[in-house]
Amino acid sequence: MNIPKVGILLMEGTNNETEVYFSVKRSGGHPDYLHVSDISSGRKNVSDYDALIVPGGFSAGDYIRAGVIFAARLSAVAGREIGDFVDSGKPFIGICNGFQVIMEMGLIWNREEITLTNNESGRFECRYTYMTMTSNNPIFRDAFRDKGPFQVPVAHAEGRIAVSDRSVLKKLYENDQVLFKYSDPNGITDDYPWNPNGSVDSIASLTNEYGNVIGLMPHPERIYYPYQAMYDDSRKDQATGKLFYDSLISYLSGVHG
Amino acid sequence: MISRTIRIRDADDKKLASISRRLGLALSLDEMKAVRSYFDKVGRDPIDAEIHAVAQSWSEHCSYKSSKYYLKKYLGSLKTDYTILAMEDDAGVVDFDGEYAYVLKMESHNHPSAVEPYGGAATGIGGIVRDVLCMGAQPVALVDSLFLGDVSSDRYEGLLSPRYIFGGVVGGIRDYGNRIGIPNVAGSLYFDKLYNSNPLVNAGCIGIVRKDRIVRSKSYKPGDVLVLMGGKTGRDGIHGVNFASATLGKVTKSSRLAIQLGNPIVEQPMIKAVLEANDAGLLRAMKDLGGGGLSSAATEMVYAGGFGAEIVLDEIKLKESNMSGWEIWISESQERMLMECYPEDVDKIRQIAEKWNLDFSVIGKVTEDRRIRVYYRNRKIIDMDIEFLDDSPVYQRPYKIRERDRSVTIPEEPEDLNSFVMEFMARLNTCARFNVVRQYDHTVRGSTIITPFVGRPNRETHSDATVIKPLEGSMRGLVITSGSRPNMVAADPYAGTLLTMVEAYKNILSTGGTPHSVVDALNFGNPEREEIMGQFVESVKAIGDFCRKTGLPVVAGNVSFYNEYRKTDIMPTPTIMMVGLIDDVRRSRTTYIKGSGNVLYLIGEPCDNLTGSEYNRMHGHSDGYLPSPDLDELMRIRDFLSSKRDFILSSHDVSSGGLLAALSEMSFGSGIGFHADLSNVSAARPTVKLFSECGNGMVVEIPRDMEGSFVDGSTEISIKRLGETGGDRIIIDEAGLNLIDITVEDLRNAWEHGLDNYI
Repeated sequence: MNIPKVGILLMEGTNNETEVYFSVKRSGGHPDYLHVSDISSGRKNVSDYDALIVPGGFSAGDYIRAGVIFAARLSAVAGREIGDFVDSGKPFIGICNGFQVIMEMGLIWNREEITLTNNESGRFECRYTYMTMTSNNPIFRDAFRDKGPFQVPVAHAEGRIAVSDRSVLKKLYENDQVLFKYSDPNGITDDYPWNPNGSVDSIASLTNEYGNVIGLMPHPERIYYPYQAMYDDSRKDQATGKLFYDSLISYLSGVHG
Repeated sequence: MISRTIRIRDADDKKLASISRRLGLALSLDEMKAVRSYFDKVGRDPIDAEIHAVAQSWSEHCSYKSSKYYLKKYLGSLKTDYTILAMEDDAGVVDFDGEYAYVLKMESHNHPSAVEPYGGAATGIGGIVRDVLCMGAQPVALVDSLFLGDVSSDRYEGLLSPRYIFGGVVGGIRDYGNRIGIPNVAGSLYFDKLYNSNPLVNAGCIGIVRKDRIVRSKSYKPGDVLVLMGGKTGRDGIHGVNFASATLGKVTKSSRLAIQLGNPIVEQPMIKAVLEANDAGLLRAMKDLGGGGLSSAATEMVYAGGFGAEIVLDEIKLKESNMSGWEIWISESQERMLMECYPEDVDKIRQIAEKWNLDFSVIGKVTEDRRIRVYYRNRKIIDMDIEFLDDSPVYQRPYKIRERDRSVTIPEEPEDLNSFVMEFMARLNTCARFNVVRQYDHTVRGSTIITPFVGRPNRETHSDATVIKPLEGSMRGLVITSGSRPNMVAADPYAGTLLTMVEAYKNILSTGGTPHSVVDALNFGNPEREEIMGQFVESVKAIGDFCRKTGLPVVAGNVSFYNEYRKTDIMPTPTIMMVGLIDDVRRSRTTYIKGSGNVLYLIGEPCDNLTGSEYNRMHGHSDGYLPSPDLDELMRIRDFLSSKRDFILSSHDVSSGGLLAALSEMSFGSGIGFHADLSNVSAARPTVKLFSECGNGMVVEIPRDMEGSFVDGSTEISIKRLGETGGDRIIIDEAGLNLIDITVEDLRNAWEHGLDNYI
């Protein structure tokens, strides 16, 4: 069986690529960086990968709305290729700033109806929280579904998911697009700081209708081993990040899903 | 104008002083005379760029002219067999595991932060990261120690309000550090009104590099090509070093121009590009452009190699096209790196720069003769002997040691200790640092094992030191701590500096690490005043004595003088960043109480002295007799803890806020309370026992069934049983008589929200 090839997209200001790279590698995938200038120069092609990840950071500084410039540059150099990639059903994952990028590209939902905006606290929030799986997504189902809350770090200033109308939310649920919700150690809650940014309905992660475009604000790649976890979770057998990336690689290898 | 000639050969003393002032050189009359006699010998007047180049090289900031003599005298011989580079290049380099080395440095960015807090602090981060990067190392951790004015008061004297400075400094560190994606994991925060107009921003960075990839800041070979990579060169930061080497005055247009502007989104790809070029083995030498700009970087790099350079400024990418040659030469525009490579490798580096969208220019070559020649638009603007430039004056400034105070003050006891303690733990210098540190990304890169906060998520307590696991293939970790005890140093510079060192040492021991190396950032007032110079000398002497005793190397340092405003000096503030090693990060220890029914012990002889403590200072007493810590005892404590490590569930050092703060913070992380009795500790008054901050004290938590094994063989050191853990209350008695009885949650709430009104 071939080792799944996972492309990690970069531009100036992307800075969470190291932990994503090692997480993919530890879980048995073959990670590879591809800078937007690698794509524009033709050195690398998105179609050569089995999955793509847009890691977190501050692409282009995020001095205007987070993720806008990365989204525009990606669309310009590989808009059609990424469209084909997504249509083929391959996973395309955006984490933190990467989530903002794929939202801006309109790959999850119409941009006018869902947005990621400033945290309710008005601050950058670096802390640990928990997330609970709330969909039936085939990639993560086996590891996370009905298994309660999982500890995970967050670190962002613009992570609040806001919808233009409650009806949008209703459709998201109908389509099974709400992947993870913020939780405390006991279960889903909307209380600050467990919901660190004030996201509607405690939503931490969304997918597109087909479940293969995935955006999340928390950082599973920063909590791959139990010794990276806080408090009681450091005594668990497996930490959140390993479950997350093992799920992805095993899905890509055709083991489940 | 490309350049012009400055007539100094026929200038009298008055004229020389006025030239120095007019051109913003900050050179003294004697220094100007030395310049005049040099050009007398050469037989011509200097070009403007030449005299500016001298001013850069001879500034206090670049030359350490007031501190060099004493630094050499007291810290000169501190090296160990695992030290790779100490006090030589832009940062210290220390062996990590035989194959890799870690690189570390700390630097002050005080004057810029006083005038422009946000930009000053941001570029402080940018600069320190480049100091580590230019050794070829991947930066893995940021550190910041801040000393700010009294934000609780609306009164302030000059420049900017302390609260505005607080917000600006934290914002600058946050926005620069988070954008470059290096975790900000350790540091300290101290408030006092003596920092109102002169805040201290000490930024540190640690990096990791494979030993065969270390790049030196000294030229390698004549004929090598010099290239500049990074951002564009502009008029920002002209005369920054001269500004930082004098006393702060009014905020003027020129002092604002002296502040550099940072752009983290150039720095971040520059880190990538530099490491990529280094991985490919393309770099022969490298130096970052910081204080003094290209002038200092190029001169120091080729001088260190024993060569000269020929440089053409024309290809350098500019922010403004009408810059003079001397402005380009001394501009302190940020995010630029000077690199030396073989001629055949220039194009390979250029391609890497292009991939990361960075500006790139070839600026010249290394020459055999020891001269610096600089050309701009076909005119020669500098042609000088490099020895003269680098041979800055050294001052052995006179100093006066203040006579030791022999008195000891014990304030009146509070009537109700319960309510007093609630107020005490919410004070600026004792309360939680969440509001600041949560704004910094401390988990990025996924290598932070012990973060600044430990315990229940969102209900944590402070950790003593943080742990970074820098390599994917090794469980070995770096244990990091940084801070200063200016409250103690102000009372007694020698004993106070020792206590600063002791706290750093204990923080590392407490976290399970072995102290390994030291970096200092020494912040003092005006060195032309003898009593300030006296503080400095005593402080440096203490660092030397401590390191000789403990066998630690001082591998890098930084001195910042002239921290005064209207003749009021700051508190003497020697900041110490200490790094330890731990063989396996999984064995790191944290500060919070792990369970009920365990036993708490105080290790180390209680010092029972309130001088310099927060408790005394809040009662208006800042001076008095301060005993030096017993370093022999500290060594015994180190050995004892290491032999008993398997029995220790948690540990926390006694420092700021005394035993009371140490015990309370241990409870805060888990919510588990304790019941302690102080009668065992010493014969002193309860408040003295609770609030003394001196000595080598540490508190440890031991499982009850291990108590015997733990105590066994402890005859060499003082260990006192304090009480037991359990419940949800903090209960402290004295000989059975209750002193304090409050819930952990109530006290934790007061502590957690202490900064809420200010940031």
